[in-house]
Amino acid sequence: MPSSLFDLWPVLGVGAIGALIPTKQDWKLRAGLGLSAALLVLFALKTWDVPVVPEDGPKEWPNLLSALIAIPLLGAGFLLFLPRQSPELLKRFTLGVLALDLLLSLSLLSVPMTKGWHFQSIKEWVPSLGIRYHVAVDGISVWLVLLTTFITPIAVFASFGSIKTRIKELCFSYLLMQGAMLCSFVALDLFLFYVAFELMLVPMYVMIGIWGGAEKIKASLKFFLYTMFGSVLLLASMLYLVWEYTRITGAPSFDLLALSRVMLPQKVQTVCFLAFALAFFIKVPMFPVHTWLPDAHVQAPTGGSVILAAIMLKVGTYGYLRFGMGLFPWAAGTMSANLAGVAVLGGILYGALCAWKQDDVKKLVAYSSVAHLGYVMLGLFSATPSAISGSILQMVNHGISTGALFLLVGVIYDRRHTRQVDEFGGLAKVMPVYAVLWLIVTFASIGVPGTNGFVGEFLVIMGTYVSPRLGRFAGIDAVLAAFGVILGAVYMLSVTQKMMFGPLSNPKNKRLADVNTRESVALAPLIVLIFVIGFFPSLFTDRMKDAVAAFDVRYRDSFELAKAHGNNPAELVTIDDASFLKGAPPLGKAAVEAARQAAAEGSK
Amino acid sequence: MGPYLAVAPLLLLALGGCGLMMTEAYASFTKTREEGASSQLALPSAVTMLAAAVMAFGLWLKDPATLDGAAVLAPWLVIDRFSVFFTMVTCLGGALATLLAGGYLPEHNLDRGEFYPLMIFSTLGCVVLGAAGDLLTLFLGLETMSLGVYALTGFRRSPRSVEAALKYFLLGSFAAALLLYGGALLYGATGHTDLVGIGQALAKGGRLPYPALVFAFCLILVGLVFKIGAVPFHMWVPDAYEGAPTPVMAYMSVAVKSAAFAMALRVLVTTFGDAKFGSWATGWPPILALLAVLTMVIANLIAGRQESVKRMLAYSSVAHAGYVLVGVVSVMRVGAEAQASVLFYLLAYTVSTVGAVGALVWMGSRGKEATSYEDLAGLGRRHPAAGFAMSFFLLSLAGVPPSAGFFAKMYVFRAAVGAGFYWLAVIGLLSSVIGAYYYLRVMVYMYMREPAPGAPEAEPMRSGMVVSALLISGVVVLLLGLVPGASLEMAIAAAVK
Repeated sequence: MPSSLFDLWPVLGVGAIGALIPTKQDWKLRAGLGLSAALLVLFALKTWDVPVVPEDGPKEWPNLLSALIAIPLLGAGFLLFLPRQSPELLKRFTLGVLALDLLLSLSLLSVPMTKGWHFQSIKEWVPSLGIRYHVAVDGISVWLVLLTTFITPIAVFASFGSIKTRIKELCFSYLLMQGAMLCSFVALDLFLFYVAFELMLVPMYVMIGIWGGAEKIKASLKFFLYTMFGSVLLLASMLYLVWEYTRITGAPSFDLLALSRVMLPQKVQTVCFLAFALAFFIKVPMFPVHTWLPDAHVQAPTGGSVILAAIMLKVGTYGYLRFGMGLFPWAAGTMSANLAGVAVLGGILYGALCAWKQDDVKKLVAYSSVAHLGYVMLGLFSATPSAISGSILQMVNHGISTGALFLLVGVIYDRRHTRQVDEFGGLAKVMPVYAVLWLIVTFASIGVPGTNGFVGEFLVIMGTYVSPRLGRFAGIDAVLAAFGVILGAVYMLSVTQKMMFGPLSNPKNKRLADVNTRESVALAPLIVLIFVIGFFPSLFTDRMKDAVAAFDVRYRDSFELAKAHGNNPAELVTIDDASFLKGAPPLGKAAVEAARQAAAEGSK
Repeated sequence: MGPYLAVAPLLLLALGGCGLMMTEAYASFTKTREEGASSQLALPSAVTMLAAAVMAFGLWLKDPATLDGAAVLAPWLVIDRFSVFFTMVTCLGGALATLLAGGYLPEHNLDRGEFYPLMIFSTLGCVVLGAAGDLLTLFLGLETMSLGVYALTGFRRSPRSVEAALKYFLLGSFAAALLLYGGALLYGATGHTDLVGIGQALAKGGRLPYPALVFAFCLILVGLVFKIGAVPFHMWVPDAYEGAPTPVMAYMSVAVKSAAFAMALRVLVTTFGDAKFGSWATGWPPILALLAVLTMVIANLIAGRQESVKRMLAYSSVAHAGYVLVGVVSVMRVGAEAQASVLFYLLAYTVSTVGAVGALVWMGSRGKEATSYEDLAGLGRRHPAAGFAMSFFLLSLAGVPPSAGFFAKMYVFRAAVGAGFYWLAVIGLLSSVIGAYYYLRVMVYMYMREPAPGAPEAEPMRSGMVVSALLISGVVVLLLGLVPGASLEMAIAAAVK
């Protein structure tokens, strides 16, 4: 331990410097600044330095993921017993719990993300239905887990600046949501995933409904019912899938790994895939089921918008990748050319055009999310290794840059209580720091080289161009997607031009205060990460490449298998990928019997 | 012990009811009787019913098939795992509703002692109904249960309450008469009154008067569906529930409904479970499937339009009957699993509904009862604990994980998928989205709206009994949602053979 403490000297050093420099401020702020600086360096160090793999793999604490999920959930339970009269205590407690979660999640980076599952933990839950508590991460989900633990404290910290009422409910919602989101990213059991998928709706619903804007009730109900509509279809097809599995193997299982071993007939795959895809597309959201998003974002409080955009939408894209593509490769593969068309035309181009015409800057950012997630989905539909890596990176990027944009919009909303673009103009003169931050984030959102957005979009477009899945449309899709980048520049730069530059015509804007310390502390880590990802993308892509390559191989192989399999009744296909099947439940009674019989016949 | 151990829960209820009645009668002669004295009976009655539930659990552990008393009582009362399970469910529902009444009646000045014996005797009827193996005991149980509930419905003695009781009484007697007439026809056609005997006669076929049998079957089905409260025989539900005192509403929607489902399951499986009446082509499953679809869709749609929370909960209980019917329909194809899904659903529904109605009781004090959505405006801020409890139980009813309601719903629709009724599962799940709308609407009023100036506000009351009922239901809801394994296995073991 002493030697590892010694290894951490840059972290401690930077933390001390960060705490000592702003001498005029009080100690709380300095401690916060020092802590965030130290955490960032720790993050960079941990990502940078991939240790050599020992023979039997590094030690992994199997309960790490369970602890990550349990800490916020238990914290939420404990919070109920804290007095509502002392908001300071509630706030500190919440931030403390989230900080603990963040620190703990950094240890996910302590092992190299090789092919297969890490930090796997399995417990029987409802044995008679084949439901298990099965969590694990791989190179894909680890980034989403880190994104979650990283963004939520920032969103919570920022929202304490603007929300002053009913802090207890606020903190409770945040903690519950954090637990549910983390659980959804690490769940490898369909049932567990579904529980988390539904559970995170309630706190977000409460958040929009209580602290939202004028139309909050309509927006929150729309959000809840829209998503629930998709998720009940998900539940129905999940039950059907498990039933099919039970029929062939003789024992039910909701485990993703087990279910991947069944080759379903093409018809069944198509039906199940459509239900899964609809649920995830609503969550993403993808055109034409995106209409809840602008309402929800415009009405949600700043912190809620940040979480919604940065993390909750990723549950949709991640779910599509892990479950939609993982379980129904044939259906996903055959439909991806058409779906890619929808993603390009309806997501990237239509989303961008809609964003361009918005008068409300928050609505503009919301539509820009539709466009950005169009890239993510396009990458997943293309399904080449570089496109998938690009998509995953783009999920993280979108979380960072859109999160930052929502925080920035929240800053001017807190000052002027309006988000109309016409109300502003020449803000750079009164709020110079704010204008600089806005420009940086705008560039990241457009995808200017050197920022994070560029890398993700580049990888996606490159992967799209060579994708065999998209057939002869690959080129057109890639070109149109590239055109979408230009449209992104058009709407982001035109709103920047209108708001930040030009004459300071509106007298109400003459005395606006620049970003305060709370806002800077919230934004600083995001700005730093924009450049870290922009300049050193390999820190991130190196850790995901094994998982992505394995996923790609599995996806292609099972597509070919399903193609050969046709519409024959479902059968068991054993995958030889030991690293993928690690921890999968044993096959059911009937399957065991069949295997025994086959062995007996072989010996005769 | 002879036959007595097998009927121990029944005897406990009967003796306890008589004892409490005597106590109440003698206590009222004393001159020093102060106001609210009869609410002292609430706790003993709740304990009596809980004790019956515990006794039933003891029987479960001992395995009722091994009791010599069970053989003596058959076929009039069938003491098997199925009836023991329902004894637990109905007694639990009755006990929780009684605890609610212990807070509600003194608060609203309805403190009259006959309430508690009526409740116990009605629960006794529920238990008999769940165990009835003969048309005569079935009718006996049905009437014992119903008469108590008729009286309890009119307990407030306000015009609204009396109207509700009269409506319920007239329609209920009519349905019971139909059931009785159907039973008479069945006896005439087969020469048996016990359910198994009729079932065997039907399965054997031969020279049976089929027109009379079909007629009898239709009459019995109408009687069953009426008690279940499914569309189109649901008309009495909202009026009776709204007019009744709120704890009675809880009682009706959990214990009475569970007992009705127990009766329906046993009759449909043992009597009409043969190749002809139980088949999809010529029997009851398609009829019940149609009723299930109608119930789920129509009840959910109407519930969304209600302005009174009590009426909304009444329609929601109709809608839940629809979900349970989905499980009943699947029984003939997947057997024990589908029956288990019905049983589990009723258990989960019992605790969730008692919780939701209990939170409603908790929210209203004398003259300031919470009935409409407007009354609840801002309650989440004025009384966070009650608001939290209400939201929790409503989310369970809406089927949001990880709650009992979610797991129950999943299990029922799993049975439907297993039976090949995909469309039934999809319709059911989609209508539960409509259901989520009106449950969330309560939360909208509690948390996101403030009362209009000058509008009447619900004022929460103080009662340890209501709070303890809520705590018990809350713990069970959470346990059933998080670790459903053990209770699932119980439900599977309880299926009618």
